[in-house]
Amino acid sequence: MAIKWTSELELGIPVIDSQHQRIVEYINTVAHAQKAKSNKEVFDVLDELVDYTLSHFAFEENLMEEAGYPFTNAHKKVHRLFARRVSNFQKRAKTGEDITVELLHVLRAWLINHIKCDDRDYADAVKANLVEATKRTKARKGSWFNRLFG
Amino acid sequence: MITWSEQYEIGIPVIDRQHQRIVDYINQLESENQQSPDPEKITEILNLLMDYTLSHFEFEEALMEEARYEELEEHQLSHKTFTGQIELLHQRFTNGENIAELLGQVLLEWLLQHIREDDASYAPAVRKHILGESDESLSNWTNKAMQRYFRH
Repeated sequence: MAIKWTSELELGIPVIDSQHQRIVEYINTVAHAQKAKSNKEVFDVLDELVDYTLSHFAFEENLMEEAGYPFTNAHKKVHRLFARRVSNFQKRAKTGEDITVELLHVLRAWLINHIKCDDRDYADAVKANLVEATKRTKARKGSWFNRLFG
Repeated sequence: MITWSEQYEIGIPVIDRQHQRIVDYINQLESENQQSPDPEKITEILNLLMDYTLSHFEFEEALMEEARYEELEEHQLSHKTFTGQIELLHQRFTNGENIAELLGQVLLEWLLQHIREDDASYAPAVRKHILGESDESLSNWTNKAMQRYFRH
């Protein structure tokens, strides 16, 4: 069963939402590979998923840090835990074990929890910081504009 | 079945929300079990519960470590026990057992006691080391951040 992207999964930070949407697409590709019984496809998409998710984590951690969110370190640890879990799946898959059904359960549960619970925790702090950063940029532009044309 | 209330809060909002979510998943399982159980739905909730509990424990342990909380090891051990219990439930469910009673009586009671006793004991260390010592910091960090950014 494919995951359908709905507004319920949106955090309200467009750049993060589009990354989450991309992860949903990867998970759906794993589901497709499982149906097609293609181990090669599972390996390939799993590698891509891991690569993309790690970049996504780094991006999120950066936003949290910049926003001065006090639980950044704890969130990082949770990210590392997920990376370890997926890497265990990769190892098992490489020994020839059929892990796709179990992996899909884990990926779906993780995604829902990651978006609906973990990320909700930091979203307010990051949003407030983004609003502030935009204001600062606009103010800078304003003064530059004023100096030249004022 | 349990309704979340203030008495279960340890005063760190981010952790309180996580505990509430775990209780919510256990409630969902129980209510699903009491009606006409849909195995697919139960598997889904068990997966969510398992995944979230692992993340929550990791989060909590990271906070304790950062706050240099002295009883970290004991806490880690009790986290392992709880995770083990959920795994066992998963197993028993897969073997066709009705786990509703076990959930209501064992899992929920264990969790609530853990929140009241164990988690309450690390809260002061976290508030002191991570959120700063002042009384202000007991309030939701996000609210404070919002106030910092939006003065009017």
